[in-house]
Amino acid sequence: MSIQAVNITKKFGHFVALDNVDLEIPSGELVALLGPSGSGKTTLLRIIAGLEFADSGNVRFDGNDISDQTARERRVGFVFQHYALFRHMTVFENIAFGLKVRPRQYRPSKAQIRAKVNELLKLIQLETLAQRYPSQLSGGQRQRVALARALAVEPSVLLLDEPFGALDAKVRMELRRWLRQLHDEIHVTSVFVTHDQEEALEVADRVVVMNRGHIEQVGSPEEVYNHPATPFVYNFLGNVNLFHGRVDGGKTYIHETETGHVVYVRPHSLEIDRLPNGGSHFRARIKHINSAGPLVKVEAITEWGDPVHVEMAQDRFRKLQLIKNENVFIIPKDLRVFENQKKVAGGN
Amino acid sequence: MATTFPLPSLGNAAARRAGRATSERILVRWSLIGITVIFLGVFLFMPLAVVFSSALAKGVSVYFAALREPDALAAIRLTLLASAIAVPMNLIFGVSAAWAIGKFDFSGKNFLITLIDLPFSVSPVVSGLIFVLLFGLQGLMGPWMAAHNIKIIFAVPGIVLATIFVTFPFIARELIPLIQAQGSEEEEAAITLGASGWQTLFRVTLPNIKWGLLYGVILCNARAMGEFGAVSVVSGHIRGRTNTMPLHIEILYNEYQFAPAFAVASLLALLALLTLFVKSAVEWKARQHVGELEVVKVGETV
Repeated sequence: MSIQAVNITKKFGHFVALDNVDLEIPSGELVALLGPSGSGKTTLLRIIAGLEFADSGNVRFDGNDISDQTARERRVGFVFQHYALFRHMTVFENIAFGLKVRPRQYRPSKAQIRAKVNELLKLIQLETLAQRYPSQLSGGQRQRVALARALAVEPSVLLLDEPFGALDAKVRMELRRWLRQLHDEIHVTSVFVTHDQEEALEVADRVVVMNRGHIEQVGSPEEVYNHPATPFVYNFLGNVNLFHGRVDGGKTYIHETETGHVVYVRPHSLEIDRLPNGGSHFRARIKHINSAGPLVKVEAITEWGDPVHVEMAQDRFRKLQLIKNENVFIIPKDLRVFENQKKVAGGN
Repeated sequence: MATTFPLPSLGNAAARRAGRATSERILVRWSLIGITVIFLGVFLFMPLAVVFSSALAKGVSVYFAALREPDALAAIRLTLLASAIAVPMNLIFGVSAAWAIGKFDFSGKNFLITLIDLPFSVSPVVSGLIFVLLFGLQGLMGPWMAAHNIKIIFAVPGIVLATIFVTFPFIARELIPLIQAQGSEEEEAAITLGASGWQTLFRVTLPNIKWGLLYGVILCNARAMGEFGAVSVVSGHIRGRTNTMPLHIEILYNEYQFAPAFAVASLLALLALLTLFVKSAVEWKARQHVGELEVVKVGETV
């Protein structure tokens, strides 16, 4: 089922959580709402779910306006950051809840409910823990139960609010891959909220980057990462070096006192060398080297005194044999220039 | 190398041996325990022993005769009736108030909490007087009620009203912190899963607070049966008609009928013991119950 949010505005007192937001989510996609806290992403998700109501604008499922429907009528599956499992029920009872509370004429028989729950337990690989209580499960297991519980009612859309936010890094990684697999199997339109850009880029078909109640950019992970539409997106998705500069006749000059432009360069788009290789370059002095990890992270000070971060492959680093306090040349390979919060040129 | 400052040696060998940072020296421990035991003995166990020994001082037959006496039976019946009405009403009120306060934000919330606490802070005698001033013959609504032949003061309705008022905060006060701490995510989950408001209340909210609720009911009931001050003001002390157990005991005592007075008092004491027992059982059960927060205790004023 496709989801449309049209001109949604929501205020909490004087705080504008969502300012005239428009969003369309095609049927069957797995979409990430990505943004820092306070960007309005959770509010938007809760408005889609019917747990919160917009001050203006409306929500449509498959083109039908459902703004006036309650959460109960919308038939959405909602997964909470802190699981919200019913603590006095076993795993089995938790998953069966949505089926058991149906009006009698729509309620499946006990045997049907049991079959459905067992099927879901198998899906989340927790068949042996059906009689446990939530407090006896690990965080990752609880979240899987919460997901199974949401799926039991065969929701038209699945909404997940920071589903992995309360888990530790390793479980988080496992679970998000598992979610991706699950989505490939069941194809229910899914929206998940996250503030973790890595998570969004890895799992989602499409990423919606939000900031201060606005949508900054919507696109595939590849698009938003490689072609950020705004300085905010550039900044938020991955590390970035920021220089002041100006653009004149197709050329970009960085570190000009008369600025007006901001130049963004990702750390891995900067190359370090001992000699200027003909192209654009600037001088810097190496301050700190961290070679733990797949990439070597070098922190340097530019000739005009700003810090600059460079990332390079391990073998390149070994070849160069860089040492602390050494003077080097830095060659930008790819940079992006924005003016007054708007992109004016891409260049090199 | 920086200068090192020597730490004073605390020499708390007992604590170290006990393996606990919070342990005290043996002398301190035993004197604290001793004070507690003496205090408990003088103020709790001795009175209880006196009640039962005085009740049985003139033999078992006098004891049971005092309980079978018509006025005593009437008092017992009235006490049971008043609690049987007051406790369920406060149960409904307490759950609704705690639900409203715990789950929703609205203006005047703090005022409502203060109002709920009012019976705790007002002397029971004053509570009784409020009803006399409202419904008594000289009171605000007195003439109107006299004209319509409605009798509240010096009658059973007044006793029930006073009991309800005095036991008003027990259940609500018990549940508010519990419901607030639990938040409303589980209810939201239930609603998104298709549960109606009632289903959410009976299948999610109430099961989550059941031990706290039971605890509140027990305290509420104990107080409803034991209430003296407020009931005394509105009752009129009509033997066999408007006397509750505490009032009956007072009358017997004032008439120097010590054995019967203590006999009826022993019933209230037994009720207190039973309450304590059930209360401990509930607390124990609540701790056993996985995931439920510890039962929150409320203050009592008499």
